This record gives sequence, structure tokens and C-alpha cells, in this order.
Amino acid sequence: MTETNIGAPVKRVEDKRFLTGRGRYTDDLNQPNQLYASILRSPHAHANLKKVDVSQAKAAPGVIDIFTGSDMAADEVGSLPCGWQIHSKDGSPMNEPGHPPMAVSKVRHVGDQVAIVIAETKSQARDAMEQIAVDYEVLPAAVNMDEALSGKALVHDDVPNNMCFDWEIGDKEATENSFSDAHKVVSIELINNRLIPNAMEPRAAVAQFDPSSGNYTLHTTTQNPHVIRLLMGAFVLQIPEHKLRIISHDVGGGFGSKIFHYAEEAILTWASAKVSQPIKWTAERSESFVTDAHGRDHETKADLALDKDGKFLGLRVSTKANIGAYLSTFGSSVPTYLYGTLLAGVYKTPAIYCEVKTVFTNTVPVDAYRGAGRPECTYLLERLVDKAAKETGIDPVEIRRINMIQPDQFPYQTPVALQYDVGDYPKAFETALKASDYEGFSSRREKSEGNGKKRGIGISTYIEACGIAPSAVAGALGARAGLYESAQVRVHPTGSVTLYTGTHNHGQGHETTFAQIVSDTLGIAFDQVEVSHGDTGEVQFGMGTYGSRSLAVGGPAVLKACNKIIDKAKKIAAHILEASEADIDFKDGVFSVSGTDRELAFGEVSLAAYVPHNYPIEELEPGLDENAFYDPLNFSFPAGCHICEVEIDPETGEVEVTDFTAVDDIGRVINPMIVEGQVQGGVAQGIGQALMEGCVYDKEGQLLTGSYMDYTMPRADNLPNLNVSTESVLGASNPLEVKGVGEVGSIGAPPAVINAILDALSSLGVEDISMPASPSKVWQAIHNA
Amino acid sequence: MPTVSMTVNGENVSSEVEPRTLLVQYLRENLGLTGTHVGCDTSQCGACVVHVNGKSAKSCTMLAVQAEGSEVSTIEGLADGDTLHPMQEAFRENHGLQCGFCTPGMVMSAIDLVQTNSNPSEQDVREWLEGNLCRCTGYHNIVKSILAGAKTMQG
Amino acid sequence: MEMTGEYRIEASRQKVWDALNDPEILKQSIPGCEEIERISDTELAAKVVAKVGPVKAKFSGQVTISDLDPPNSYRISGEGKGGAAGFAKGGANISLKSDGEATILSYEVDATVGGKLAQLGARLIDGTAKKMAGDFFKNFAEVVTEDADLYSAEKLNEVDTNEINHGINTSTRSKISISSWIIGLILAAAVILAIIVY
Repeated sequence: MTETNIGAPVKRVEDKRFLTGRGRYTDDLNQPNQLYASILRSPHAHANLKKVDVSQAKAAPGVIDIFTGSDMAADEVGSLPCGWQIHSKDGSPMNEPGHPPMAVSKVRHVGDQVAIVIAETKSQARDAMEQIAVDYEVLPAAVNMDEALSGKALVHDDVPNNMCFDWEIGDKEATENSFSDAHKVVSIELINNRLIPNAMEPRAAVAQFDPSSGNYTLHTTTQNPHVIRLLMGAFVLQIPEHKLRIISHDVGGGFGSKIFHYAEEAILTWASAKVSQPIKWTAERSESFVTDAHGRDHETKADLALDKDGKFLGLRVSTKANIGAYLSTFGSSVPTYLYGTLLAGVYKTPAIYCEVKTVFTNTVPVDAYRGAGRPECTYLLERLVDKAAKETGIDPVEIRRINMIQPDQFPYQTPVALQYDVGDYPKAFETALKASDYEGFSSRREKSEGNGKKRGIGISTYIEACGIAPSAVAGALGARAGLYESAQVRVHPTGSVTLYTGTHNHGQGHETTFAQIVSDTLGIAFDQVEVSHGDTGEVQFGMGTYGSRSLAVGGPAVLKACNKIIDKAKKIAAHILEASEADIDFKDGVFSVSGTDRELAFGEVSLAAYVPHNYPIEELEPGLDENAFYDPLNFSFPAGCHICEVEIDPETGEVEVTDFTAVDDIGRVINPMIVEGQVQGGVAQGIGQALMEGCVYDKEGQLLTGSYMDYTMPRADNLPNLNVSTESVLGASNPLEVKGVGEVGSIGAPPAVINAILDALSSLGVEDISMPASPSKVWQAIHNA
Repeated sequence: MPTVSMTVNGENVSSEVEPRTLLVQYLRENLGLTGTHVGCDTSQCGACVVHVNGKSAKSCTMLAVQAEGSEVSTIEGLADGDTLHPMQEAFRENHGLQCGFCTPGMVMSAIDLVQTNSNPSEQDVREWLEGNLCRCTGYHNIVKSILAGAKTMQG
Repeated sequence: MEMTGEYRIEASRQKVWDALNDPEILKQSIPGCEEIERISDTELAAKVVAKVGPVKAKFSGQVTISDLDPPNSYRISGEGKGGAAGFAKGGANISLKSDGEATILSYEVDATVGGKLAQLGARLIDGTAKKMAGDFFKNFAEVVTEDADLYSAEKLNEVDTNEINHGINTSTRSKISISSWIIGLILAAAVILAIIVY
């Protein structure tokens, strides 16, 4: 292995521009004659829009124009679409009310778009916005899910009881039977707290219309430019794809929140044609809090049936999921196929049934946030397993051991649709126990007790289905798009390569890892490979980056395109070397005739392809540029074990995470340095969910945690060093043998933290605590116990 | 409109600005120095940290006119040609950045720490970073980078 | 937000009632008050500009008096719209009870803020409103029982910027009435908003 091949911790090529302040984030870009937009947003959670009077504001200095929802409706602008159709238990399709980019007759959450002001400067736009007079008829708001399900206030007039859908998965009868046979039933009720993703870069967009060509260009902070082009072009603005270019260069973090097609993208693109000048909009953080899709927000009741030996017999889950005021792009898939299908976890539970009521409320739309459904599932399962351990008196380690799927059971068919392809769960589990010195915990606890502190240790295992997905499977489950990925490998005449990938890099390091794949496969120097992404004008097609899919789906596409290059290059080499193609060997960038010293370097072959003087022109086209589409055969299934150790000050309720160990099976590792970074980042978000982060609305639907003063983000001094390692079994569902790593941390961490807290406080009689386990909550729990 | 003059990355600059212009706006919009970022509107995230007269400051919390006569340095002014500043190099070596958005503020803040405390402990670094948010890294590699950068800056 | 309280004022019930219904006092009392217009016997409209350093925000407020039972009780409710900044609305049930020569004034206040005000300032407004309500009733009691000279223009416009900068507006040292308390709440919201948002 060289220093840059697959498996090497190559330093990132993208870092230099970021470290020298030369990133190209959307807000860094400016166009000639650019105007600025401010968007007026509803201060009410639910109100009829009686009148929007823009006359005074239109006369304000610098104002070019102001548009409202009625103006867009007059132009027959469509509704923001949802990309996944779910069917209810009774077979009926989900309720899919309209989602106008700007409110037309009614606003449905604080932050809903009411008007866009376009002015010469940013401050003029903002100043003028203050002068728009809106007459709201305030309506009662449906804020929490029970209230919403009572149907007293209807978010959408045509959706009875605010129920988007009532979905189920699994065999209800078999599950009920498993409970009748049970020796013991353990029950739990819990809330998966609503989170606000908070990528550090606020969303932004610059839209431009060229009247001479009729072409639109939108620079936007998105994780999937081609999907935005498709959704906005085909469903919202009716712009044919060849007239619409979406560019998303550097994006400052996404974590799911930048997957979705947001209203502002459509509003700006539409308005740029109205005013025939480029328009820029950049969210203030306050806007991000009330417009970026939120995550999680489940209320769940679950029961686990066990036999007398502690073996799981059945699992019954009933969940209410908050979808917010509108169906966001993938909102419907998160509490269903990304949640219910994972409820087997790494365990052999033979019968599982899950039902999910998904509810509209007068809150910001809820959609995928790092993990998306799988953290909710894992939290439920691992809390329940710990509770079962406690109630049966079986050690938490032992109860997991006896129920874990064994390495010889693959492929393993779960009772909730998925078939796990390969894995070795006990291996990661035992490695994590060792790495965390689980055995030595009692002496550490003693030491803490001596200092007046409570110490606890918590375990979580998890499984994740990622590399979303085989298109046919996703389609059968309601996805309205394919989920393959594309790559194009363009070999230039002198042998350097530009790789165009349909995935999107917003911190994951694709410019480095994908270059490693190309460089290793083609045997060319690492610095001879450039990775291009994020521009529909350059990249042929792509489904973007989410669900830990980039390497698992985008990676094989790269490999496939590289192999096509090698196949063609072999033909060229055979011709020049006057040998048969079957006799050409390719190794380390050199084409040779087997058993001879006749050879050609990669660059010689590429040059021949572009200067085809001596070339098999009758059977082969000139040039060396290949594309590939890859659609996976199955999901990939990363899995692992996370162990958290906490020390709690019972006087203050403050929880310190003293140690955190993550052992993850993510398949083949392309770049271990980047893998560690991905796990660390995910774990930090998971610890954030467990200890700090929580979105709070008041009863009128006002967001009370609407800034960094009230929404607690993990800071450097809230976290320990993280002990992260991999224990991989190579993936079986794709030729790169990778699985995916982006989300594992945020999936595994929350239950490990909460289980550790409950372990620490169990001697005080505390049996339950909800996330985020803030000091006040912990203190209360201690005092109420 | 008042005129404001200052030195930015060693060069004298002078412009007319609206009195309400923040220093960060002035740097980004008037001078085109877009390496300094805006991540929030409540002075909590630290993406906008620059140096004013050698000390780190959140440029979203200062008006441009308050920097009148000051020496301001930004992330763009750190490297010497192609040679990165030791702290920049430490972030690269230790994978101290992912999406890169918080990075300029982190680096500027870290340099000020080392100027104040040449041999910081891990705890010193974590506490110093109280004013800088990162959503990608979990801080693990940022802390590692800063400790390594501090060593090189000393050496 | 909800709060209740009681004040004992050393004046007759009628005198207290009259003071509670004097709009001219309001205008002089509210810092930054540009205009107060009596729309009807029970409705007032006010425009208040809050200015802190380079920051300025204008709030227009409407106050309605209802459930009038002179000189025993009434309800006052108000709404302030700050455009893109959000809104503040609330009400207070005020009742007066004679206690010998003095009057016991009881109040029950409920108030809500929305939009950016709630998002950024809700927790500050809670504290501010409580402090302002306390200050108001304390001052009101003083006004009713003391010399009218207290209404001097300089004092009315006195604003302690240090305290404002800490997000706690105690600038209502001027003597204000019940009606102006609601407007004061809106003003406090505007000031806090101005500090936080801009």
C-alpha cells in the first residue's frame, strides 16, 4: 500500500482552501448587478392571512420589488413536493396537503414565508420588510401531537385529526402470540427529543436568470443539487432541466438539513426572472432555527416479551411522530422505513410489530437529521434492552450476548423486511467491552463514590441500514426517485483525471477519499486526480449525499467507471503493443503484455486515445472518458457497539461524560483518519441529543429555543476525548465492500449516554430520565426518586 | 456616511461605510475577505473571529467604525505565500476540520490562545474554545490540532 | 407569561381610578413615545420608538379597555406589532378595593410574545416584564400619593443604558399608568429585540 492508496490516512486535499479562507460557500459568491432579498416570516404559528399590504414597503429606498404568495399562485407556481409516499394500514395513501413556497391564505408555523422583499442592498431589504403590514387572523394552534390528534385545530383544513398517515410494519398476530407465550413483559414509554440540526453555515441562495438564453442558475446550500433541480424544475417552477443549473460548491455542514428542497430556493429562482437580476438571500441564524427542517420528535410506547432465559420473543412498538406543518422532502420516510425496519437491531427477536401515527402540527417541518429514524429506533431498543436486563436481573452485557445474531446466521432475514447481508456483531461488542475496560468499571466507580460522585456505564449496540438503496426496493416502499449514483471518470490526454461524482461533499472529505479510489484503481499519482461535485452543469447526474450513501453507492459508481476506463485502455494498449487484449495485464498504472517486457504507461495510453495516430479506430472511438451508474443490490448494514461512562455530581445534577468508546463495523475503510473524524462528529451530536439539545415550543407554537442562547449546542468543554475504532467485516452488497460511516455516531451514542446515567443513579432509585438529561432534570430525578 | 480606516492583513484600507456596518460585514462585503464567516446572529458561534490589534475578537460584535485605526488580521493573512501558519498546518495534519465553516474562527481563536498561554493543557484548550462552535468534528481533532499547533508555534 | 400582585396605595379609590385613566400621563411617561391617540373611549393607539445607540425599532401598539366597572375594576388589553420583529400582546385585570383611606390595587397579568421576540427574547421578557410591573406599580403608588412635580420632562426620558445593555430594562422610572404598562411591555420587548436582533 502506498501513502495514498485505499486504506491510507491521506491528509485532505480540500483543507488548504478552507484553512486559508478560500472556501467557496454560497454566501461568499456575488454576481454582477446582484440584488438582496429579505423574507418576511409569520410570527404566528397558525393564522389566516387576511391582507398583506406591501404598498408602503414598496416605496422604501432601494426596493426593487416585493412579492407575496398570491403573486406566486398567480403564476401557477406548484407545491413543494414530498419524495416518499407512505400508505396507511388501511391501504390509503398518506394525506399530502399542498405546501406553497410562500403562504397564500394561511400561515402554518412561526417562520412560514409571507413575502419577499428585493432591494439594492441587504439593509434596504431588511428595512423595507419592517414596513409590510400584515393582517393576521390568529387561529388556535396544534402544537403537541395529542392536541393535534384531537383535531381541535386543523393545520390543513382537509386533513382530519391532523393525521398524515397511520402506518404499520411487521406481523401483528405473530407478535401478539409471542406476548401470550412470554415469561416476562417489559414496557417502556419514551420521547425522542426534537432537535434542530444547526449546520454552522446558515442556508443561502443566489438565483440568476439570463433573459437572453432563458436559463436559470441557482447557487444553493444543498446536499444534492440534481435532486433540487428535478424537484424544483419539474414540480414547482416547471423549468425544464436543461434550462436550470444548480450549483452547490462548498457547503458548511448539512447533517440532513440541507437535503431538502426549501421554499427559498424556489422563491428566489422564480423572483430572479421577475426582476431579471441576480438575487441573493442568506439566512440569519434566527431564520435557520424556524425554517431548517427539525429532526426526531417521537413519542413511543413499546413492550418486549422475553422467555424465562431472557431471550427476546417479541417486540411491540407504537409511535407518534411529529411531521411539522408540512411534508418536507423526505419527512414521511423517516418515521417509517428508516425506523420501523431497524427494530430488530442486532438481535434475534423473532416477531416484531410497529405502528406509527404521523401527525401534522403548527411547527417547523420535521425531516431527516443525521441518523434519521435509526437513532429513534436504536434509542428505543437499547433503552428497552437495558430495562429488560434490570427487570429480569440478567446483566446488561449478558442479555445482549444471548440475543445477538451470530456470525453464522447471515444472510439474516429480520421480521421487519430487511435482510442483513453480513456482519459479526459479537466481535464489535466484545472489542468495545475490552476497549472501554468494562471489567475495570467497578473500581472506577468506587473511586468516584469516594469523591462524592455517582458513576455509571452504559452500553448501546446498533444496526444501521444505509447506502440507501436499491432503487427497486425503495420504489416498492414508496420512494418517488431512484437511489442509484453516478460517476464520470474523464482521463485527460496526459493521463491526469477529473472525477465527476453525483454525491456531494460538505465536510465528508470526498475530494480526498474518492481521489484515493481513482488513484489506487488506475495506478496513477494521487495528485493527478481532481474530484468535481456539486454542479449540475458539470456532473452528469447524481442523487446526492445523505443516509451515509456517498461511499456505499457513489463509491462503486466511481469504481465501475474506472474499470470501464481500464477495459478501453487495455484495448488501446493491445493495439499499440501488437498483442491480443487477453494478454494485456494492468498493474500499478502500467499496461504490459504478459510474460514480456513490452509495456505502456497509463499516460502513454491516454495520449494515444486523444492523438489516435496508431489506434484501432475501426473498432474503438477515440477519447478516454467513461461514465457509470451504480444501483446497489441491497442496503449496507454498518453496526457496532458504543459504551459511555459518566460521572454525576448529585449535588448539582451535572453529568460529565468521562469516557466514550465506539467500535464500529463500517466495512472497508478507505481513509481511517476521515472515518475517525466522522464517528467523532456523530458521537458529539449524539451526546448533544442525550445531554443538551432539545427544541421547545410554547403552547402557542412559539419556538422558545430559537437561538444559541437557548438551544444548547455541545461545546468543546462539554465533551471528552473519544475512543474510536473500527472492527470491520467487509461489506457484501457492493464491490467496494464498504458500508457507510456518516451516521453511526449519532445513532449509537444517545442510548449509551442515557443508560450510563441510569446506571449511575440506579442506587438512588432513579428509573427513568428523558433526553436531554440536563443538570436540572437529573437533579429533579434524584430528588423525586 | 462616515469614513473608516484601518490596517487589514498589513494593508491600509479606507472606505465610507454606513454607521451600522459590522466589522464582519465590512471585511466580507467591502473588502471581499470572505474567509471570515457569519454563523449566528447572537455572538455565540465564533465563526467570525479575527484579530484586532493582535487579540481575538468576534467581528460580528464590533462595528466597523469601532475598528478605526486598528490592525485587523483575518484568516487570509496568516499563511506566508504557500507556507501555512503552524496553526493552520496543525489543523491540516490532525484533521481538525471537516466542512471548514467554523475553521477560520477556530484557527484565529487558537492562535490568540497560544499567544496568551504558550503551553496550554487540553483543558485550557477546551475552555478557551467556549466561544467557538463546531458541528462536525466533536472537537476531538480540533483540540488535538491546537495542542500540536501550540508546540510548533513554540518550537 | 402570567403574574399577579397587589399594591397598597395611600389614596382614595376614586383618585386611583382617575389616575389609571389619564392618557396624557401616558404620553409623557413612556420613553420614546411618539404619539398616543385616543381612538375611542376605550381604545388608545400608541407609537413607541426604542433607540439604543445605533439601533432603532418602532412599535405600534393598541390598547383596549374593557369590562369597565368604575371605580372597581377593568380589563386592559393590548397588542404591539413590530412588523418582522414579531408581536407582543397581553392583558391585565385590575381591581381596586378600599382599605380605609387607602386603596388595594390587585392585578392579574397575562402576556405573550411571538415571532422573533419570542424566539430571541422570551426568557428576557419574562424577567423584564416582572421587573417593569413591579416598578410600575411602585411608581404608580408614588405618583398618586405624591406631588405632581414628579412629571418633569427630564426625568421622564431618563434611560439607563447600562441596564438596557444587560437586557433588563428598568427605564420606566418615569411615572406611568396601567395602560402604559402594556405599552411598556411592548417597549421592553422592542428594546430587548433591538439589542439582540440587530
